[in-house]
Amino acid sequence: MTISNTKAWFFAERALIYALIAIFLFVTLSPLLWVLSTSFKRNDEAISFPPKFLPKNLTFDNYIFVLTDPNLVRSLINSFAVSIGSTALSVAVSALGGYAFARFEFRGKNLIMSIILGLFMIPVVINIVPLYIMLANFGMLNSSPALILTFQILIIPLNILLLKNYFETIPKDLEEAALIDGCSRLGVLRRITIPLSMPGFAIAAVLSFRFSWNEFILPVVLANRPDSMVFQVALYQFISLYRIEWGYLTAGITLAIIPVLVLMLAFQKQMIRGLTLGAIRE
Amino acid sequence: MLSIFAKAEPYLFLAPALAILLVFLIFPLFWNIYISLHNVSFITVLRGWEYVGWTNFFDLFKDPNFHTSLKVSLLFVGGSVALQFGMGMLMSVLLNQKVRASGVLRAIFIIPWTISAVIAAFSFKFIFDYNFGILNYVFHQIGLQPIGWLSDPNMVIWSLVIANMWYGTPFTMLFLTAGLLSINPTIYEAALIDGATKIRTFLHITLPLLKPFIVINLILITMWSVNFFDLQLVLTGGGPLFASTTASLYMYRQAFEFGLLSKGAATGLILISINLAIAFIYIKLLRR
Repeated sequence: MTISNTKAWFFAERALIYALIAIFLFVTLSPLLWVLSTSFKRNDEAISFPPKFLPKNLTFDNYIFVLTDPNLVRSLINSFAVSIGSTALSVAVSALGGYAFARFEFRGKNLIMSIILGLFMIPVVINIVPLYIMLANFGMLNSSPALILTFQILIIPLNILLLKNYFETIPKDLEEAALIDGCSRLGVLRRITIPLSMPGFAIAAVLSFRFSWNEFILPVVLANRPDSMVFQVALYQFISLYRIEWGYLTAGITLAIIPVLVLMLAFQKQMIRGLTLGAIRE
Repeated sequence: MLSIFAKAEPYLFLAPALAILLVFLIFPLFWNIYISLHNVSFITVLRGWEYVGWTNFFDLFKDPNFHTSLKVSLLFVGGSVALQFGMGMLMSVLLNQKVRASGVLRAIFIIPWTISAVIAAFSFKFIFDYNFGILNYVFHQIGLQPIGWLSDPNMVIWSLVIANMWYGTPFTMLFLTAGLLSINPTIYEAALIDGATKIRTFLHITLPLLKPFIVINLILITMWSVNFFDLQLVLTGGGPLFASTTASLYMYRQAFEFGLLSKGAATGLILISINLAIAFIYIKLLRR
């Protein structure tokens, strides 16, 4: 093979790679850009045919509608409350569990770990019927605590795994030195382990928030009254109760995407690292 | 006293997490069996339940809609897994070829994974709309007949697969990227010196090293596709009639649309068996 031939091959290959990436970029982004553009259109223009890519008369009416409708605002507040509560609970509980796996030797350690990993495989949807009946009997349907507690089953197994692996990257010697210096176990946790584990907590928190904010099946079954509804459910009710108003709906979609998108993009690098640590080291 | 505490300490650390999992995950899982053998509906949920034996399962196997839903599931899962895996693999490999700004591109490509299935479904409902959806507009422009993406019983399942491909591919891409990054680059340098072509390097070095990642990824996306129904529920509600009702959505509709909670629980148990079978098959393949 001559040198110029090799070069030609190299450029052809590069061109092909970039062309495929460009197509994929278009496919990934166009649905969302289309939604974004529609959210700034007036309702009559949103369903005009032929569709226009950019809004003719830019309007914020759709956003104003969503952000002033009492039920939708209520549901947004519920979503934030439930997601933040569920994130805090899950990171706290999983940090304790992960720490036990990373630092202690105890009877049944491997068995408990495999059970937790196995639980990760159990589809939560299969539990919705018993959970519904259970919470109905406790009188806990349509309450935020019910959502916060049931969301945990989606998140805890993953978080324990992730945080266990993170704690293992922190040298044990550091803690032992502090213990010898007369620090108590809790003191070691507070002064050394927790500060050093902050990046791990951040990944766990972002993932927990993403799962909680986006969860739809559990809340649509367990909390579908207007006062306890989360935003995802409110958007769904919105479409089935009335004629679809695409302007309002696309504005709602855009608002629903923003919180997680901002978090995920901010922590993108740590995310890939976290997944590598969390999913693979087993 | 102190030594007892020291022995109990790890269990105390684990207790809160295990308690939550026990009450909200493990107990309901087994309670499913009890519920499926009784007659629980919206009406009787807070009263005494009547024991009915295997009736719910017999009803299920006799229901032609359940048969349809199994067929629909097979198409949905097969199509989704093939496309998500194929596209995810392609993209993760392409982005690993010393592409410019690959970090930014990866960040953009994971966007669909950061949104909820409900949002993805709404976006596609808009795109697939018969009258003013962008897809039919494009078809119109190039002189083709509009397609009933969501109303044609033969088309609707493939529309769902397309939407699910869009929604699910980023996870596979991210997961396999993590796998590719874990491979030591010196192996490739050695292959290059030996004069191996890129395709040969991929087939004989990358793929075998990636195998554990591929198997775990396939297990996860297959199970998720089997159990997934957020997308179908919002996009089509399972319709027209039962044409896009997968077995998972069938479970939801029986339990919460028709109020037949026990029949839903019975369907759930069948879904679990399917999941276990899938995991078993893949793990067998991994060992080989």
